[in-house]
Amino acid sequence: MINQSKIAEIFDEVIASPENRLLEQDIDEGKIPIGYTCSYVPEVLLSVDRLVPVRMRAPGIAGTEIADNYLSSVICSYTRSILEFALDDRYDFLRGWVFAASCDHMRRLYDNLVYIKKPAFAHILDVPHKINEAGLAWYTDEIQDLADRLSKQFEADMSDAAVSAAIRERNDFTALLSSIHELRKIDPPPITGTEFHRILTAAQVSPMHMIIPHIRETLDELRQREGGSYRARLMMVGGELDDPEYIKVVESQGGVVVADRFCTGSIPGLEPIEMKGDPIRTIAEHTFKKTICPRMMADFESRVQAIIDVFRDYRVDGVIIEFVKFCDIWGVESSPLVSAIRDAGIPVLKLEREYRLSGEGQIRTRVQAFLESMGK
Amino acid sequence: MKIRDRYIFAKFWILSYLRIALMGLRHGPFNMVRELIRYPWLRHLLKVAGLMGRLATGRTGAFLEAVCMIQYSVVCSIADILTDIFTYNDRLIINEDMVPPEIARAMGLKTWNAEVLGILLPMLDQRAMEEYIDASENEGIPPDICSLPKSTMGLTLRGEMPPALAIVTSNLPCDGGMTSYALMERELKVPVYRLDVPFNFYSKRAEEYFANDLREMIAWLEKNTPGRMDWDRLREICEERNRMTEYELELWEMLRTKPAPLAAEAVYLGHLWHFNMSGGVKESTGVFRRLVELAQNNLERNIPAVKNEKYRAVLWNPPFLHFLEIFNWIERTYGVTLIIDSMTYNRVPMIDTSTPDTMLRGLGTMIMQGPMARHTRGPAENYLDDIFRLYKHFDLDMVWVAGHVGCKNTAALNGVLREKCRAAGIPLLILEYDLSDPRIVTHEGMISQIEYFMDNVMKAEKFE
Repeated sequence: MINQSKIAEIFDEVIASPENRLLEQDIDEGKIPIGYTCSYVPEVLLSVDRLVPVRMRAPGIAGTEIADNYLSSVICSYTRSILEFALDDRYDFLRGWVFAASCDHMRRLYDNLVYIKKPAFAHILDVPHKINEAGLAWYTDEIQDLADRLSKQFEADMSDAAVSAAIRERNDFTALLSSIHELRKIDPPPITGTEFHRILTAAQVSPMHMIIPHIRETLDELRQREGGSYRARLMMVGGELDDPEYIKVVESQGGVVVADRFCTGSIPGLEPIEMKGDPIRTIAEHTFKKTICPRMMADFESRVQAIIDVFRDYRVDGVIIEFVKFCDIWGVESSPLVSAIRDAGIPVLKLEREYRLSGEGQIRTRVQAFLESMGK
Repeated sequence: MKIRDRYIFAKFWILSYLRIALMGLRHGPFNMVRELIRYPWLRHLLKVAGLMGRLATGRTGAFLEAVCMIQYSVVCSIADILTDIFTYNDRLIINEDMVPPEIARAMGLKTWNAEVLGILLPMLDQRAMEEYIDASENEGIPPDICSLPKSTMGLTLRGEMPPALAIVTSNLPCDGGMTSYALMERELKVPVYRLDVPFNFYSKRAEEYFANDLREMIAWLEKNTPGRMDWDRLREICEERNRMTEYELELWEMLRTKPAPLAAEAVYLGHLWHFNMSGGVKESTGVFRRLVELAQNNLERNIPAVKNEKYRAVLWNPPFLHFLEIFNWIERTYGVTLIIDSMTYNRVPMIDTSTPDTMLRGLGTMIMQGPMARHTRGPAENYLDDIFRLYKHFDLDMVWVAGHVGCKNTAALNGVLREKCRAAGIPLLILEYDLSDPRIVTHEGMISQIEYFMDNVMKAEKFE
């Protein structure tokens, strides 16, 4: 049996605050941390040359009183939490911010941040709402524009060779993470959903080269490990979920999360980037492919199919759709999504939650009831 | 009420019911009963007299005539649209409210604006949408979603949408509205075309991107419906719409005069209906021609629309659908006159009709940069700058924001707006309410907010 506390120790430390030990060390060595808020921001571009991508989180946020004054209390608490942390100087270590105009709430986060505390570098990507040739061309231009701005601001080498090198490095990294992810298909899985997401979250907020040794070590240990008993194999679907403690609450009732399909998750987030000529266009294509979000207007059926496919591949017993309260796109889409998944004969539970871990008792009760409804 | 005012009111009252009766007679009484069963919301249309009475209260002369005429024009327009949905099932499409119907009409198609009932019915009966909002929430749509898409989804879930061949929608005006079409597509089981307005739409690149999207939409409609594009017909429609716009610009110019010759519904309701529902229709142009005449008449005789105009206001965000008479009340109580609003004010109103390409670019620009569209999409300055521009242009005294609780993307700018208004010394009222659901904030609650603002910020005294 693997030393569980070791996994918790290494990765828990890294994800406990926005500026972690590994990041600090990298910054001291001259690296340039760039924060980003959405999966439509291509993190691979933020890892070119001396740049380091940092997925924006607000771990341990206690309240959003100041942010509420600007953003109101009726928008998603992820965006409010990020603004609160920014106003609390918790992100002052970042040299730049990159946003995507992916949803109303994210756009207004950008607007308010730029108004209240203008960062030295803030950029918002204009992401089309349709995946077709015109949308891809538009998005490619957007990414090229971002690359040019990053190059100008930070003197980063954004040549084709440098971007291609970053793609190769990123592919090696995601291949390593996928090796761990693949273990979840085993029955019983040697790794819980909580443990996996600790690793994955740490990977999104740490310099790649510094977290890789820890992930390798963990993979070696996991290969020796045998899975324990469980009540049901679960899949989690939704938007931003960057706190593994939520998954721990879900798993506390005896289920094990073996698959995920959310913004900060592994399916299809860990897919390799397929190099096809122009690296910028390659990144645009990949980002469209690896991000399955209801903000893409015309792809409802393919989103349903993606869930059904994962359900089968990972031998899942039930699907939990989770999203942060006040999220318009997930809030509306979840209704037909639940119907469509049920129509496919798949048990499904819809959980509306806050960004900050709260309401654990209610979540436990609902998951417990869900497991029982499946006869588990 | 003066005798002439009584005559004007009675005339439009009678004409409205005659128009409804004529529609019923043409369609046949038996068929109308069948339609009433099929579309239970039709019963609310008979309440138009109530709205007319509420909006007429306290208004006189040309202002009263303008308000009554616009309501009558809406009755005529909705009667025409209903006749279309009763008669032309073979060429009916559903269009989202931010996608103007000009192109489809030029293709010989009939259109049903999916959101029209969510906008119109609360005006006629403040509680009309509650059952549809509840239907939507019972299906799992979160209560915090905007009540307009909830109303539209509720109508769809209850099977009260007209049967259409196809749907044309867009990513406007907000995420809730945009995503609601996933549910509608699944329920109605018809093909959907979705227009995509970029985030940064003030550029040639965006104009080209969106014009191409419109071209693809036309090709898609030709494939999925019997509609065929007639560019000459589109030119006629666009030219007619331009004529209506010219009248509206003339009207706006006159509104700069203090006191204003017309106000409130004469400005926003006319635009809301005719520019979104029937642009390019001769009758709509006639409405604006008459509005200009009425405004000129008042100007020449130095008659204000609102007796004792004391404060001039701009309204940001959609008007209070279930409480339109709030404007009569503030006119009579405090002398607050609504001069202009965000749903009306357009900065790129004309369409170049030289070629099919210029028409598509013009229509595309009109959609992308149209009222509401440009405010809810794109960066914050799209929303904020127009407020201060209008404040100066119309020499206003206060800014009102219709703080619809379901409109999160504008709620998220209230903090910035508050600080900017404070810095500029502009009184700001953010009136919290729900667009279509009076259960969230009652009319009494809305009035209390206004009284608090007028008493404490404006230090105003009531007339009565």
